[in-house]
Amino acid sequence: MTTMTSSPSWLQATSVAADRDASYLSVQGARKTYDTRNGQVHAVESADFDIDEGDFVSLVGPSGCGKSTLMSMIGGLESPSAGRIRVGGSPVTAPRRDFGYVFQDATLLPWKTVFDNVLFPIRTQKRPVADYLAEAERLLRLTDLWAFRDKRPAELSGGMRQRVAICRGLINDPQLLMMDEPFSALDAITRDDMNLALAQLWDQVHKTAVFITHSIREAVFLSDRVLVMNARPSRIVADIRVPFARPRRAEMQEEPLFNEICGFVRDKIHEGHGSRQPAFA
Amino acid sequence: MNSSAQDSAFRRIGLPLLFALGTLALWEAAVRFFAIREVLLPTPSAIGARLVETFPLLMQHAWPTVWESVAGFAIASVLGVALAALLSASGLMRSMLYPNVVLFQLIPKIALAPLFIVWLGIGFQSRLTFSVFISFFPVVIAALAGLDNVDKSLLRLCRALTASSWQVFCSVRLPHALPYVFSGMKIATTFAIIGVIVGEFITSQAGLGYLILFASSQADTALILAAIVVLCGFGLLFYGAVALLERWTQKVFGE
Repeated sequence: MTTMTSSPSWLQATSVAADRDASYLSVQGARKTYDTRNGQVHAVESADFDIDEGDFVSLVGPSGCGKSTLMSMIGGLESPSAGRIRVGGSPVTAPRRDFGYVFQDATLLPWKTVFDNVLFPIRTQKRPVADYLAEAERLLRLTDLWAFRDKRPAELSGGMRQRVAICRGLINDPQLLMMDEPFSALDAITRDDMNLALAQLWDQVHKTAVFITHSIREAVFLSDRVLVMNARPSRIVADIRVPFARPRRAEMQEEPLFNEICGFVRDKIHEGHGSRQPAFA
Repeated sequence: MNSSAQDSAFRRIGLPLLFALGTLALWEAAVRFFAIREVLLPTPSAIGARLVETFPLLMQHAWPTVWESVAGFAIASVLGVALAALLSASGLMRSMLYPNVVLFQLIPKIALAPLFIVWLGIGFQSRLTFSVFISFFPVVIAALAGLDNVDKSLLRLCRALTASSWQVFCSVRLPHALPYVFSGMKIATTFAIIGVIVGEFITSQAGLGYLILFASSQADTALILAAIVVLCGFGLLFYGAVALLERWTQKVFGE
């Protein structure tokens, strides 16, 4: 990684630990290729980075840059074509019970109540349900959903459903939570509220998280670290340590430094596109 | 608002009932006016009288028809859902069996009834088996459609949670498929009765099918129609019971 003399303090060389296997989450030369009729397609060219325990890390990039594929590989839902991924000292080869997952759609079971949906992973993984009732209540209270615990998903708004999905992702006290564009199906106003709610939740739960988004402002607002990805070739083009303290406040988005970082990320993405279309907000 | 609610209740129940009563009245009047002979077409009132008169006989013959249809339907429902589960779980089984299921669906199955007599004799076994055979297909086809139509993202969630195939079936696929299963089962109630009646036409010494055939040999048209009225009543109750069960599952597994 080239380090420019004028480079800002928050921009870092893509951080790779000295002893890679000892780092908390290590993506080592992970590549994903698909065979199609028109030859091989590289969904992820080659990703190399390490993540520290407790960091909230966003992968931000345009559609088709491979960020969801990268997350699927970290989560064990897809296996890399080359390279390897380690979390908490052991290689990831399949979905793990100490991971939490949140997807783009809330994917709640429509016939179960909010409360039972949150406990679904516990029942599925045959853990003792009684041990998790208090945690379910704590998470539902933190996300302002406790009053709705007996409702079914059809009775909730889109934002509430996604909050249920986040509680469900956290119920098994995962060591790593993966969120794949969890707010992209929501309207802009709800989305702002959700960002604030998630930031507040994070002040309470302190977990390592990998968060996929194509919203630059969302990524910078929520994260301790932002990895910028580009398409064709799909790779990481910038690694930013967000220099804002927690708790995060909505006013942070008015600060010049916040906007400077967002502008930098936008430029990085457009460099890869070879044009400056205002495509990403 | 209240008056419009009353209006819709009238349209839902009152209007069709009124039409049916009007038709019966017209029937009664036409038979009397044209002096049609009773053996050709008895009046509704004559059928009613015959129904009351022969009620113990009708009930005696209704019993075997009822239990054989209900048992046939129940066995067909269980087997149908089980086969659909097998086909949805195994690609190999589906490739091998599903085209044959569709082919069988296309056979006019009533034509096969005499074969069941040849194989299983003239006891209830042949009628029950034939009833299962005829009512089984709509359940398989509907259940399979429901099991297949599960949201892919729910299946991905289950994979992420390391759920076993059995867990996915019980907690996601089957609850999702229930409305489909019930639409198949509602068709199966009618088919199960048809199966038993056809069986009784060819073999039986008892049952409403037998009674209808017997009454026709005696030119007792009123008794034929009285037996059909009992059959309709049973069919209605049967369908209603399944619809009630469906409503209950919708409360538990609906949205």
